[in-house]
Amino acid sequence: MAEVEETLKRIQSQKGVQGITIVNAEGIPIKTTLDNSSTVQYAGLIHQLVMKARSTVRDIDPQNDLTFLRIRSKKSGIMIAPDKDYFLIVIQNPSD
Amino acid sequence: MLTDPQDHLAHQFPLEGELRPTFSGLSDFLHRVEDMIVKELAKNAKSHAFDGFDVNWEDQNETVSCKHRLQHLVAQEKGLHVTSISWSCTGSVIACAFGRVDDGDWSAEKSCVCTWNLDRRGLNPKRPNTVIDVARPVMSLSFHPTSPSLIAGGLYSGEVVVWDTNRTQDPVLAQTGMSTDAHREPVYQVAWVPGQRRGEMLVLSAGSGGRVLLWTVDGGSLVLSAGYALVRQQVPHNSSLSKGRGSSNVGVTSLALSPWDSDTFLVGSEGGLVLKCSFSAQELAAAPPDGESVALRAPAQFSFSPRGGPVHSLHYSPFHRNLFVSVGTDGLARLHSLLQPDPLLSLRVSDSYLFGVRWSPTRPLVFAAATGQGLVQIFDLGRKSLRPAATMDQLTSGQPAYCMEFNPCQTDLLAVGNADGSVNIWHLSTELTEQGHRETAQLEQLANEVAE
Repeated sequence: MAEVEETLKRIQSQKGVQGITIVNAEGIPIKTTLDNSSTVQYAGLIHQLVMKARSTVRDIDPQNDLTFLRIRSKKSGIMIAPDKDYFLIVIQNPSD
Repeated sequence: MLTDPQDHLAHQFPLEGELRPTFSGLSDFLHRVEDMIVKELAKNAKSHAFDGFDVNWEDQNETVSCKHRLQHLVAQEKGLHVTSISWSCTGSVIACAFGRVDDGDWSAEKSCVCTWNLDRRGLNPKRPNTVIDVARPVMSLSFHPTSPSLIAGGLYSGEVVVWDTNRTQDPVLAQTGMSTDAHREPVYQVAWVPGQRRGEMLVLSAGSGGRVLLWTVDGGSLVLSAGYALVRQQVPHNSSLSKGRGSSNVGVTSLALSPWDSDTFLVGSEGGLVLKCSFSAQELAAAPPDGESVALRAPAQFSFSPRGGPVHSLHYSPFHRNLFVSVGTDGLARLHSLLQPDPLLSLRVSDSYLFGVRWSPTRPLVFAAATGQGLVQIFDLGRKSLRPAATMDQLTSGQPAYCMEFNPCQTDLLAVGNADGSVNIWHLSTELTEQGHRETAQLEQLANEVAE
């Protein structure tokens, strides 16, 4: 669907965006702008991290839930928008 | 090897084209999250919230300190120098070769190779864990990249030997002996290179006879697999070279293998030449045949601007495929791009000879140089000043520091081998080992500058 591609293009065009990957509920990547091996790496690792973050939030307060996860590292930042069926993962270089 | 990421994906994860029906709800999902993500990305790009924010995960090591001072008294009593050092692939063991670097006929001098296991309890810096007696001075040493007990060595006599430190009776696993294939002159460099077959490693040896030879381990012998001869007439003349008189052989004093391109290697010569060479060169060498079992080829493809004296050490940058640094008797460290003959930068390190140079394995802009005055100077190309970022005195009473190697696993450890027969293991400060935020980009900038 053209709409999906258009949305991804808009996100990709944001300042500093290095790559986008979308994984499904099982952690399988279904769309990506990264190379194959990086995609597979991010998909597996981020999926596990999101599940852990989500259970942390819900263990503290069962009425609460994870809405967004952001990792900041020395060299880049990873933003994750989670959902029931998909996770959107965006890698962004920090501002200089 | 750079591949266009878009090509990869069009194959497996189509960005253009049809969407399979199983991705139901994907469009809705993206619709829901798009605004939020775009807002977060924009905020992050503008934010100064984390400016200057650093996290200390590791223990900060403020100082550079000498952790061990390893010595083998028998070798020191004989006045032997440490000519070469090598770390095992596990980073636990340091091996050093004893020989002589000064003039004179030392061919009859008995010598040895010693190893210390730094991770073993009860380490005695004055007592090596292994001492391998060798009939002649050892000029170069290299641990096998995956088998922690195998060491290759090049001798003053031109022989190449592989020792297995696990063997208690006779540590010699294989050797060239004095066959017609062997070098006739001291072997100043040995290294392990991958062979054609999977998992196979060949021993590369290079020496002052101008030969670069590749050996396979076959039973108890090292058998010549391929060979190259560097002859003056075949050196590319793309830079002004003084046609010196003397032997037409180009004596090799240093060699560096490229971590980026397995076909390329650099050679530094006694006469100050720095040459880019190729293993796949086809042209036959113009050296008179001397009973070699393999036809020797001429490997040199490109000449960098020559130095004023022997090139003692070369090292490819682990962070940039086109950069390397070279040092020699002129006391200068030269930063070169593979793409042009003239250096990008010439740094005066010392008034004395320089014997070794090594890039930091963790900081793209940092390299260390070993001087004839027994100092190791560490330079940080990111600093505005060209003065060394650190100076490590090897405490040799002014005798030269000959060789240096960073530990492949504990990358903040630097071993330095000296003329007084000692090996010092230095622990570098966090400042010298922790990569800065934009270092790779700064290095890229340096590499793209055209030499004046």
